Amino acid sequence: MNAAHEAHITDNDLSAHLDAELDAAAQRRVEGHLAACPRCAARLADFAALSADFDRLPQESFGCDLAGVIAGRLAAVAPPRPRIPAPGWRGLLPLGLGAAASVALGIAMGAALLGGGAALPRMTAMSVFDPIPPGGLCLDACYARGADKTGAFIK
Amino acid sequence: MDDADEELAARAQTGDRQAFALLVRRHQERVFRFVLRMLGSRDEAMDLTQDTFLKAWNALPAWQPEARFATWLFQIARNATLDLLRRRQLVEFVPLDADTPGEAACEPRDGAPLPEERLADRQRIGLLERALAALPAEQREILLLRELEDMSYAEIAATLGIHEGTVKSRLARARAAALAHYRHHAGESPDERRA
Repeated sequence: MNAAHEAHITDNDLSAHLDAELDAAAQRRVEGHLAACPRCAARLADFAALSADFDRLPQESFGCDLAGVIAGRLAAVAPPRPRIPAPGWRGLLPLGLGAAASVALGIAMGAALLGGGAALPRMTAMSVFDPIPPGGLCLDACYARGADKTGAFIK
Repeated sequence: MDDADEELAARAQTGDRQAFALLVRRHQERVFRFVLRMLGSRDEAMDLTQDTFLKAWNALPAWQPEARFATWLFQIARNATLDLLRRRQLVEFVPLDADTPGEAACEPRDGAPLPEERLADRQRIGLLERALAALPAEQREILLLRELEDMSYAEIAATLGIHEGTVKSRLARARAAALAHYRHHAGESPDERRA
């Protein structure tokens, strides 16, 4: 692709030019280019011919008064219901209060159950884990502590 | 006309069926032609045009006066058409390569007489119809909205729910593709130029 090719007007701009949808500056640029570029002018002419052919398409017709048909079908249904405006946050207030009350009740029931004799898990159970990892060095204090517990290490 | 559309739509919103009937009469041919060109089947197009207006009646409470009624109506027609095409699994039409260009497709589907035209014009129309049928639905609909409905890019963007920049590029691609199909069916060499 050489520089001259890159300078051609894109299909996007040619198409928009045909539809008069370019802004004034782009329109002037395209028109200036088209005046000197037979290739882009031919492409635009192709787009224009395609557009003109749409006007020649047969004008198909529904062939009857659809309003009468629709009226008959609408007679069997209710009129459209007027749109109800969205409630906004105030409309959600009762729902929110209900939810808050449910949560509060749940907490109160849970507290009553636990307070009535159910024991909390004792965190001291975690002490089964030795602070010294397997294979780790055990200093004198460690041995001393073990000896205190079992008496086997006391020399 | 457009102001009257919105006025009628506002009345129809309150349940005024006569106002809605006027809207139907005003837009039935446009909607029908668009749907027919999208589907390629007259019977289906008639059914879908009816469905479009019934859906519009039911959806009227949601219509906002800021929106043009015609644009809103075409949104409904377009969505219903695409739904049907998806059900038919024919969103991508298959080009009919084997037929002779300009044959049969020139004839209108409803048997109505064509205007007096030269043979070349009739062939061009036939080629255009075949080129349209060969396009993906996405390109066909945007060409129809622009060329048949004469919608501006802003109106097309509102109807299809896309940006105006996308309208510009998609329309250009659709035109280029239609020309390529057109030339293919006509036996001409394809244009090598690309956007």
